[in-house]
Amino acid sequence: MSARDRILAAVRAGLGSRPQAPSDIEAEAASLLAEPDEIRPRPVDTTLVEAFCTKAGAVGTTIDRVTDLDAVPAAVERYLAAQGLPPSVAVQPDPALTGLGWEGVATHAAIAPDEAAAVGLAGWGIAEGGSIVIHSAPDSPILLAFLPVHHIVVLHTDRILPHLEDYAATLSEGGAVPRNAVLITGPSGTTDIEGSYVRGAHGPGFVHVILVAGEVR
Amino acid sequence: MTVADQPSFKARADAALADRTLKTAIERTTGTAERKRAAALSTFPEFEAARSRGKAIKDHVIANLDHYLETFERNAVASGARVHWAATDEEARDIVVRLCIEAGAKRVTRSKSMLGEEIGLPQALADAGIERVETDLAEHIIQLAGEHPSHIIWPAMHRTREQVAELFKADHVPAPDAEDPASMVQSARRVLREKFLSADVGISGANFLIADTGATCTVTNEGNAELTTTPPRVHIVTAGIEKLVPSTAHAFALLRLLVRSATGGELTQYTTFHCGPKRSGDADGPEEMHIVLVDNGRSTMIADEFREMLRCIRCGACMNHCVVYRQIGGHAYGGTYPGPMGAALTPVLDGLARSRDLAFACTMNGRCAEVCPVKIPLPTLLRAWRVRSWNDGLEKGVASAAVGAWAAVARRPGLYRLVSGAGVGILRLIGTTGWIKSLPFVGGWTKYRDLPAPSGGTFMARYKAERGKEAAK
Ligand code: SF4
Repeated sequence: MSARDRILAAVRAGLGSRPQAPSDIEAEAASLLAEPDEIRPRPVDTTLVEAFCTKAGAVGTTIDRVTDLDAVPAAVERYLAAQGLPPSVAVQPDPALTGLGWEGVATHAAIAPDEAAAVGLAGWGIAEGGSIVIHSAPDSPILLAFLPVHHIVVLHTDRILPHLEDYAATLSEGGAVPRNAVLITGPSGTTDIEGSYVRGAHGPGFVHVILVAGEVR
Repeated sequence: MTVADQPSFKARADAALADRTLKTAIERTTGTAERKRAAALSTFPEFEAARSRGKAIKDHVIANLDHYLETFERNAVASGARVHWAATDEEARDIVVRLCIEAGAKRVTRSKSMLGEEIGLPQALADAGIERVETDLAEHIIQLAGEHPSHIIWPAMHRTREQVAELFKADHVPAPDAEDPASMVQSARRVLREKFLSADVGISGANFLIADTGATCTVTNEGNAELTTTPPRVHIVTAGIEKLVPSTAHAFALLRLLVRSATGGELTQYTTFHCGPKRSGDADGPEEMHIVLVDNGRSTMIADEFREMLRCIRCGACMNHCVVYRQIGGHAYGGTYPGPMGAALTPVLDGLARSRDLAFACTMNGRCAEVCPVKIPLPTLLRAWRVRSWNDGLEKGVASAAVGAWAAVARRPGLYRLVSGAGVGILRLIGTTGWIKSLPFVGGWTKYRDLPAPSGGTFMARYKAERGKEAAK
């Protein structure tokens, strides 16, 4: 008998006989998610955007708000200057970003192991914990969110969802689950030495969201 | 790691109790963890309801585990991952080592996984001559120290910052700039960066296996899981079969409990779902993804009371709140998993005969069950191991004789009153200051703490006296 068969046989022997049809199991699983407000935190602010900003700020993410996608390069330039960094960034090879007018900042596609700053586009924001979500894709390398010291993320306000479940629902509705879906909630950190918090472990020490009012182009 | 060939539990606990540095290190981390958890729950009034739901979700999964295993396998295979099954720790080790050899791996990066420890993966990789690079900061520390984890969330919590500085100064080139935690974290980042990018295989565990998508989920704060799983050509996941959840939304319901209970945060910095290998055209990602589903005794727990233990989401809250763990730390437990959950699980993994002491090293104060986010009745499970140990005849000797004598006296009420009354009188004579510094026969107790001298008579004597007063009113 294969290990697979042995394990399944042992599991079934332990469970004894059960009449559950797969559809009944699914119905029971769904019922366990009923009344979600009973088991999740209440929103902290009146509007989704304010709630997102409050929670993201609480985990150490900084936020800049602009009215239009075209204002992003200038916002990036401002951020780099404020951090004392040279005006040069890796930019995610997404046409929505590369097609912008990057006059004041030198851009490149390849992400160096010690990249100082990189700019990417978030798929979603989640107000509950102030998280941003990125998905892997041909024009979305995952390492862009992990190698740089400063991760600059562009997020459209209409992509902000209230709760974690709302993001989960987009996965089942859309059908296509990406290879990697990463929820990023604040900069990388660790408490591994005596439980004391140190910001900036292997991932970025800084996460900066540029919040763009309105719809995705 | 197993408890075989180690000094007895008593000897290990004695050594731990005598180690003042260890005491300092444990208090610093568990104290912080306890405070942060309390603060997180104070802003989450829904915790009790969420806990009941979390318990129900895990119970539902275990009650339908065969269904969820098959569903997960089907969806993981559809995503392009290869699924392997391992009934024992040995089978699991063999599969992972074989996959590494087939990949021609010289260097393997690992993102912390307690299951990897449970199946003895570090040793197996070393035996196969494969360089293993631990990437979680705490795992990096204990790899340099040549140790095993002493906590399931903070594996290096038994080490003070001064000790970590010594290890890093000896190993890191260049050495850390200073001895404060921030400088040491920077140093580890510098040293490990190049290794992440040059590894042939990345090995991770999984906090959840998502049945309806076939994805595995890792949660970390450092970002090392993604740097472990993205650059290498091959990603191998090892996960226990109890890690299944029906869907991503179910994982989120448990995640809220896990993070608050573990670190006092609301969410970890990174919650990542890994669904198959690199897709065509993807900018990065592994070309192969393998998932090893490990049983290693879990299926045997389904039919008895230890089934409740299969709900465990490995948050570590039970050990942070355990008076025994906070005295002796994790290594004294001798198994892969320490603290209350380890005491309940180790007999399954290593056998009761070799770990029977653990169930007795418990004060039954119930704190662990009170904080457990999935309501595992840990004291009840430890009591069940005690009963089994008696029934299996493992408790012969001193304890049996003492309890036998107590039972003989207790069955005779007149004699019991006489003996216990005399005992109280004697204790009051010894403990003139109110505290007894040492006592014959129970030196194991008074060696590390004073025993309060009884302040009055026996319960029965006082009960009679109070009844007398009542009647006189
Ligand atoms: S037994 Fe409960 S408290 Fe302990 S690690 Fe498991 S889930 Fe957490």
